[in-house]
Amino acid sequence: MTSDREQVRSLDDPEIMVQTPATIYDAIPPLTPRTEREAEFYQLEDGEMFLNLGPQHPSTHGVLRVVMKIDGERIVDVDPVLGYLHRGVEKICEYGDWHHAISNTDPLEYAASMFSEALPVLAAEQLLDLEVPRRADYIRVLAWELNRISSHALFIGWLALDLGGLTPILYGFAERDEIVEMLAALTGQKLLFNYMRIGGVNGDLNHEFLSRLGDWMSRAGEHINGQAKLMNENEIFVNRTKGLGVLDRETALGLGMSGPPLRATGVPYDVRRAHPYSVYPELEFDIPTRSDGDSYARYLLHIEEIKQSLRIIDQVLHKMPDGPVMAKLPRLLRIPPNRAFAAIESPRGQYGVYAVSDGSDQPFRFRIHDPSFFNLQAVGSLSEGQVLADIMAIMASLDPIMGGIDK
Amino acid sequence: MTAASNSQAGLSTAGKIILPLIAIIVVVSVAGTILWVTGVGVSLAEWTLDTGKANIEILRFVAAATGVLLFTIPAAFVIIYMELKIIAQMNLRVGPDRTGPWGALASLMAGLKVLSKEDYTPRGVDVPVFTLAPAVTFLASVLTLLVIPFAPGMIGYEMELGLIYFFAAGSLGVIGLMMAGWSSFNKYSLLGGLRAAAAVISYELPLILGTFGVVLLAGTLNLGQIVENQAGGIWNWYAWQQPLALGIFFIAATAEAGRTPFDYTEADSELVAGFATEYSGMRFGFFFFAEYVNVFILSALTVTLFLGGYHGILDVDPFLSAIGVETPVELSNLDPGSLGPWLLAIPFLVPPILTLAIAALLWMIKTGWGFIKSLLVGFLLANLLVGAIVSIWALLSFEALMGIVWFMGKSFALVGLFVMMRGAYPRVRIDQMMNFAWKWLMPAALLNIFVTAGAIIIVTEYLS
Repeated sequence: MTSDREQVRSLDDPEIMVQTPATIYDAIPPLTPRTEREAEFYQLEDGEMFLNLGPQHPSTHGVLRVVMKIDGERIVDVDPVLGYLHRGVEKICEYGDWHHAISNTDPLEYAASMFSEALPVLAAEQLLDLEVPRRADYIRVLAWELNRISSHALFIGWLALDLGGLTPILYGFAERDEIVEMLAALTGQKLLFNYMRIGGVNGDLNHEFLSRLGDWMSRAGEHINGQAKLMNENEIFVNRTKGLGVLDRETALGLGMSGPPLRATGVPYDVRRAHPYSVYPELEFDIPTRSDGDSYARYLLHIEEIKQSLRIIDQVLHKMPDGPVMAKLPRLLRIPPNRAFAAIESPRGQYGVYAVSDGSDQPFRFRIHDPSFFNLQAVGSLSEGQVLADIMAIMASLDPIMGGIDK
Repeated sequence: MTAASNSQAGLSTAGKIILPLIAIIVVVSVAGTILWVTGVGVSLAEWTLDTGKANIEILRFVAAATGVLLFTIPAAFVIIYMELKIIAQMNLRVGPDRTGPWGALASLMAGLKVLSKEDYTPRGVDVPVFTLAPAVTFLASVLTLLVIPFAPGMIGYEMELGLIYFFAAGSLGVIGLMMAGWSSFNKYSLLGGLRAAAAVISYELPLILGTFGVVLLAGTLNLGQIVENQAGGIWNWYAWQQPLALGIFFIAATAEAGRTPFDYTEADSELVAGFATEYSGMRFGFFFFAEYVNVFILSALTVTLFLGGYHGILDVDPFLSAIGVETPVELSNLDPGSLGPWLLAIPFLVPPILTLAIAALLWMIKTGWGFIKSLLVGFLLANLLVGAIVSIWALLSFEALMGIVWFMGKSFALVGLFVMMRGAYPRVRIDQMMNFAWKWLMPAALLNIFVTAGAIIIVTEYLS
């Protein structure tokens, strides 16, 4: 860092004299350092420079900003800067009633919003001690697993795109497109479904959804095997991801990670089995794990999970009971004062909510536990010493969704 | 500008064309008269002719350089269109389909768009270096085309050290990339430019060493001579004698052109657009074109060195002479004057008779067709027939035309391979890439040279 600052003409307006480093190669801390860590980070050693990745960058998956301290191509240190997508969802949820919370939590996990919108629903049902009709439960599982597959298909494409491959992203989108079309037939929406309701779901299965689903199920296994073959046998892809960003289970557990990044380290933690909810105890499926903990293991785990989800969908379609899809509830829903923690296994890990009710029709506190936020924390320790190109692969393999991280 | 457009506002389209033409003709004739009367024009013309005669080599060089410069633009358009369409097929997309038949004008429109965009120079850049960088990159790659033999006798400038010139001129391109990266006042550009420099140093060596086997076999660095050595069918190509060199050369050429899987210089998921991040308008267009021209040039060099250049897969001359056709068909064999007044029949009688004959045939076969429709289709088919006959005659008569068809066909097939690789592979990490260049390609290239040299010594010294 240059110590003596002199008055130079601003690059934005030559009329103005500013006290700032004249070249981009000087360090420009954003503000006066707020923490010790920040003060240490914004000190440059000889030969190092800062590279500002984001918030507008092609491969940060939204508006994540990562300030990197690099020495040539090697990354010395990273400082992720969050908050560019902060909307105050938790607070907004406290100002609407419980039903509004469904559409407010919807965009949190925008690649798989069937999961985030289930949070207020599950919390409210737990607080009310409400019995959901069995058919509604089965439809929910069906919708969740379909959405999980669409999200995982996108993950595989994103990972390849961040490694420079152009084709897999479109294969992933072709798969996602079919699922999204059928969910649109079910819910009326392609992205933010707003389908879950306290006490059931909004609308029964319809003919168009079922015909699309049957059509897609007949070739889904073949599709996913084709995509896996395209990438598993690609020498460059395997060499890029194998041994990259290796997490051990202590670190992963210590950071509070969950979902595929945690299971890739060998911890078989899945909320569907660990703390069962809905009708998952009645269904047969495995929790695939890997012991390597690297990006390749995370990628393989996603492929395995898609296969397990297909298995679940198959069972759900065979076991689907008849009956209503909504429980009988009063129109103005007052929830007795209590507190509850509801968790759900989203494609990115444990999506949880700690909800407190004060007896009114609004949540008193609505604290959201987002798995992407915890998974993203691993970027710092994983990217040190890696080359610049690998931070993208690491970030993509952790699969963060900024909507949930910034809330 | 506004006055000119106001004065033209009331004119019809034809008037808008004719009025300026009249003005230009008047100005040109007045100037010509003055030059002629004063005698300046005559001496100027004499001086031009004399200088031209004295410096015929320089004139030829300038003409050839202009020729390759003009050739590269449509070639780049074709490659860009190929890239859009082939990758679209691989991605299960349709690709461009709006402008032109099957979207064939999409790349032309992209070129026009680039021309019409603002040529923006950001504050803080090193202006002269920033401005010159695209020209350096583009010219360096275009000038290498000078020594590529497109067809027998169709070579921009026949040099004894053609291959050396090719690599010397081609390596200048990276200076342009480094200039762009350094002057752009952007860290992403800087990293892109430095990556380009690092990669060129690593991959230039196996690229050049890979060609040494061919040079040893051919005994010359003259590219025209290397192609001539491969005449006489597919089994005479150097690809069979130098398969390892072909592999090394192709991989190194991919890196040299900055194509996937070695497109680290403008890795869009890492460096936004690499060295070209701060460029816009036609300056960006030059980088864009230079990339595609580079792809074509390296394909052309691969074809020239390993795949027989402008020679066909089969040597057709023996077959043609067996059935009584001598190639090239001598133009002097056909004397139109000997036809006498029947010469008039060729332009005036043959087309209508041919049209009518085909139309009548169509009218009889196709029951649903009216007379006018048959006539129109007949006219079209007659023209196509005549065109085909003329084309075949031209192909047989002019060796150069046949050569260029083969050369372009082979080069664009290789370009298609480059494009398909972009659709199929992710990017190689920079350290893996360096490892590959120094630990695998370099030793393989050296091994190839030793084996080739040893084989030549054994064949020439002991077996003959």
